[in-house]
Amino acid sequence: MSIQPAPADSSSEPADDVDAEALAAAMRVVPLGAGVLAGGAVALLVLGYLAVYLLVFLPRGTVG
Amino acid sequence: MSEAHTDIHEPRILATELLWAFGVGILVAATLTMIVFTALTRGINPPSNVERIDPKTLHLSGEFAEHNLGTTVAPDGSVTVRAIATQFMFAPRCMAVPQGRRVTLRFSSPDVIHGLLITGTNVNTMVVPGFVSQVHTEFTSTGDLLMPCHEYCGLGHSEMWATVQVLPEQDFKPGPDGRVSCAQR
Repeated sequence: MSIQPAPADSSSEPADDVDAEALAAAMRVVPLGAGVLAGGAVALLVLGYLAVYLLVFLPRGTVG
Repeated sequence: MSEAHTDIHEPRILATELLWAFGVGILVAATLTMIVFTALTRGINPPSNVERIDPKTLHLSGEFAEHNLGTTVAPDGSVTVRAIATQFMFAPRCMAVPQGRRVTLRFSSPDVIHGLLITGTNVNTMVVPGFVSQVHTEFTSTGDLLMPCHEYCGLGHSEMWATVQVLPEQDFKPGPDGRVSCAQR
């Protein structure tokens, strides 16, 4: 039994046939999901920064 | 993926990325605006005192001579703390400060770069040989605060720390020479 390289491993090999409908269906939700995940993570980070800046850093006063 | 599929999805991916970049740009601009606004209206700046001093003669004479280290209350009532950061200790190891009064902290180093922070306050500065690091603060609550070196300065770095003892106003009593030491407990 010979071992065939996966299509992605070699540009000379033909890729698997892509089901255009399935791809279109995935592409409708994947960018939105990625945006929600990344946006949520960044929102949490920014909220944490704002909480520390406004509730901890500023009340402690200037040191300069 | 074939060329046709790439052509269909690429504009949407580009639009999503541009939207993301726009959102991040807004966040960065808002953060910078907030920092600049507080710097201008409330004087919130990083400590930037540029004052030179000779590190070779630091401990021999002048402001940072041994007898001058620690807490001093001037005749006008202003409180100044002077300390040397050296491998691998702060001199003095304990500094007494009053609660609720503006305190000036001055540090210098005769050897390598050190740094310090005082826990629970915004005091946080580098101590660079050849310069005096100066910060001001007001301690709001009494108690002992840890002041560690936060810039790696050698093998003994982790042992390099001091205590800032915040005393209530009635316990902060300068001697006849205007000096205040940590209360013995």
